[in-house]
Amino acid sequence: MTAGPYCGKLLASLGADVVKVEPPVSGDPSRRQGPFPGDVPHPERSGLFLYMNTGKRGITLNLEDPQGRAMLAELAATADALVHDRQPPACDHQGLDTETLANANPGLIVASITPFGGWGPYAGYPAHDVNVFHSGGEGWLLPNGLALDTFPDRAPIAAGSQMGSYQGGLTAALGVSAAVYARANGSPGQSVDCSMQEAQLSLGYVPIQRLEEEGIVEDRFARYFRIGGVLPAQDGYVEMLTLEPGQWQGLSRMLDGPEWATAESFQNPGQQRDEINAHLREWFSAHAKEWLYQEAQAHGVPIAPYYTPGEVFHSRQQRGRDFYSGVDHPAAGRFEYAGPPFRVAGAPSSPARAPLLGEHNRQVYEEMGYSPQDIVALARAGVI
Amino acid sequence: MTADAAAKSAGANKGPLSGVRVADFSVHAAGPFAGLMLAELGAQVIKIESSARLDITRRPHTMYGKPPSGFEQVNANKMSITLNLKEPRAVELALELVRLSDMVLENFRPGVLERLGLGFDRLREVKRDLLMVSISANGQTGPERGYSGYAPMFAAAGGLGFLTGYPDGPPVELRHAMDHTGGVMGALCAVAALCGRASGPAPSGVTPAAEATGHNRGLHIDVSVRDVATAIIGPALLDYAMNEREQAPQGNSNGAASPYGVYRCKGDDQWVSIAVTSDTEWQGLCRALGDPDWTGEIRFGDGYQRWLHRAELDRRLEEWTQQRTPWEATGALQAEGVAAFPSMSAGQLMADPHLAARNSFPQISHPEKGRQHGVTPPWRFDQTPARLDGWTPALGEDNDAIFHGLMGVPLEEVRALQEAKVIW
Repeated sequence: MTAGPYCGKLLASLGADVVKVEPPVSGDPSRRQGPFPGDVPHPERSGLFLYMNTGKRGITLNLEDPQGRAMLAELAATADALVHDRQPPACDHQGLDTETLANANPGLIVASITPFGGWGPYAGYPAHDVNVFHSGGEGWLLPNGLALDTFPDRAPIAAGSQMGSYQGGLTAALGVSAAVYARANGSPGQSVDCSMQEAQLSLGYVPIQRLEEEGIVEDRFARYFRIGGVLPAQDGYVEMLTLEPGQWQGLSRMLDGPEWATAESFQNPGQQRDEINAHLREWFSAHAKEWLYQEAQAHGVPIAPYYTPGEVFHSRQQRGRDFYSGVDHPAAGRFEYAGPPFRVAGAPSSPARAPLLGEHNRQVYEEMGYSPQDIVALARAGVI
Repeated sequence: MTADAAAKSAGANKGPLSGVRVADFSVHAAGPFAGLMLAELGAQVIKIESSARLDITRRPHTMYGKPPSGFEQVNANKMSITLNLKEPRAVELALELVRLSDMVLENFRPGVLERLGLGFDRLREVKRDLLMVSISANGQTGPERGYSGYAPMFAAAGGLGFLTGYPDGPPVELRHAMDHTGGVMGALCAVAALCGRASGPAPSGVTPAAEATGHNRGLHIDVSVRDVATAIIGPALLDYAMNEREQAPQGNSNGAASPYGVYRCKGDDQWVSIAVTSDTEWQGLCRALGDPDWTGEIRFGDGYQRWLHRAELDRRLEEWTQQRTPWEATGALQAEGVAAFPSMSAGQLMADPHLAARNSFPQISHPEKGRQHGVTPPWRFDQTPARLDGWTPALGEDNDAIFHGLMGVPLEEVRALQEAKVIW
């Protein structure tokens, strides 16, 4: 899963000591997903795993084993918070039920991140990212604009790159942090039930409000920008959105004041909308997207290029604010990683690498009071 | 007593951020959504507005004509005061409010607050341990820090837009949800900063680089929504760094497993999402379909074969889904342990029994519109519940409570400042 690991990654990037618990031998399933350097699969070289687990310590622990579950409770006794992504009823069999954990540590924050939450008729429904995204309302509303004009008969789509899972993990990280804050200010330990569907509802509340206030069920055909949106450039696409009259005037200047780009046509494009968009598409497709971006911004027009991953990786803005940093990894080698999307003035932000499988077993289990001999015996017994 | 009033007076159950005061200067989308998250978590969020330049959510929308829907929710639970920050006395009052607050939230374009005399360094003169979260399109640093943008542009320049779309089509605009995702990131940074301060010099909780900056000297956190979008494509960027490969948009596919997508159902614009990522799930899917002969074909015999022949597999599966409503397909597949769920419209969501059982659309009283449904906060705390319990305040509704009640400005002076368009 992506949501749980991303939650932990964010907490680690904010300074928390995050211990990732993986099953022995096989580890996190994401270790078997790419990308891999040179496309050679290796459990210590998965780009997905390496990215999702920066800044964490890693231990192995077998939650199918009673001794493993007992040790999970001991680990929980040392923690401020425990985050998991097991749906009911699996979470109860793996020692992740709230009662067991609260007995181990009454002050513990126990957060679960699941597709539909820990209770309710669909609580046990399995769901992958595509199901989660389409369960929340935004999937049914995508795409709009040019993609919809091009393929009006196709299925609605989820946002790319498993965005829904990232949103679930991010939202949960906020809930966990708030509960940690409350406990520091005298509240008891507690459970935090994070439904990824409800995270989608919260982030995508606008169509819900339109229905409630106006009685309108917005669909993807009705939701479009009247002018602009996705426009073809010579070498890709740009996005244009002019919401203010001044921005439209800037566009008119940038285009050398054609008669179709008047103030009236912006305020009330009506029938002229298709004509204006046809002009825009023609004009834009004769220029490179980077030129359009810089020229538009100089004229105060909100335009941005659709950058490919490689262009994002080399973007002067993100390079200019040290968004990427080189991370060494003993098995995978050195690569530049996207940094956290926040900066603290004066503080470095380069992430620490992801852990090897079981890398911190000795360190963490010794902190919990186990001797080196115990740790060897536990490993031999398949507990860790 | 109404249910709302009972909830409000049930002082024992306070949100996790109860007691935290936020001076919220934010005006558009991502910033106000960050404020909403903090307000739902129980913080006292004081929204500073001005009649000189109304928040975009209080103005008619240039595209849609009327004030956009969602206005009621995004400023829910907040207090509203008015300050015309072009007036020196208004800036003084803002400084005093900051001194009395735990946190400042803003999302002006970089440089604007400095010009108003309210930049981080100035604010820290009145509050040494100031915590401040700035949310912007491109961040506070870098050559494009001053560039303007809206949600679809953050996703476009951040790379998430390019990776959203049909494999053979143009990129797709991401809308409010992109802004709001940036807002949640801002709220997370805000709470992390509060945790760092709460836990003192040897923090055990979340501490954004507190040691590096010296927490007692204050903390300024810079959130770029474009970077928020880019963080979501981290693995694709590593693919580029490792293999110089440009990943492409994949529609609803995950690029590795099949069937994995959204399939047409009976009815108008009705769809079901289905995701099979293992042999166990595939066997469940075959059972749900009644084990038709084609599922036994060698070309669907393992995950690799199914991925190779995914176009044919999708066609076969869609023949089955088209005979069923999304819920019939979902029920049959979930009964066999297969991940399936309808692609839900707002109308379907508001009528859904699971969301009803969870009270995901709580009703809140509105002074003019009566009781209206909102959207639940996205966490269920069992001890310190987050709540949506009051709609957006009227412009300046809390001027007396804050300027007089909190800051001690005599009421006559508040009136005079309103007259002089300072509190305005």
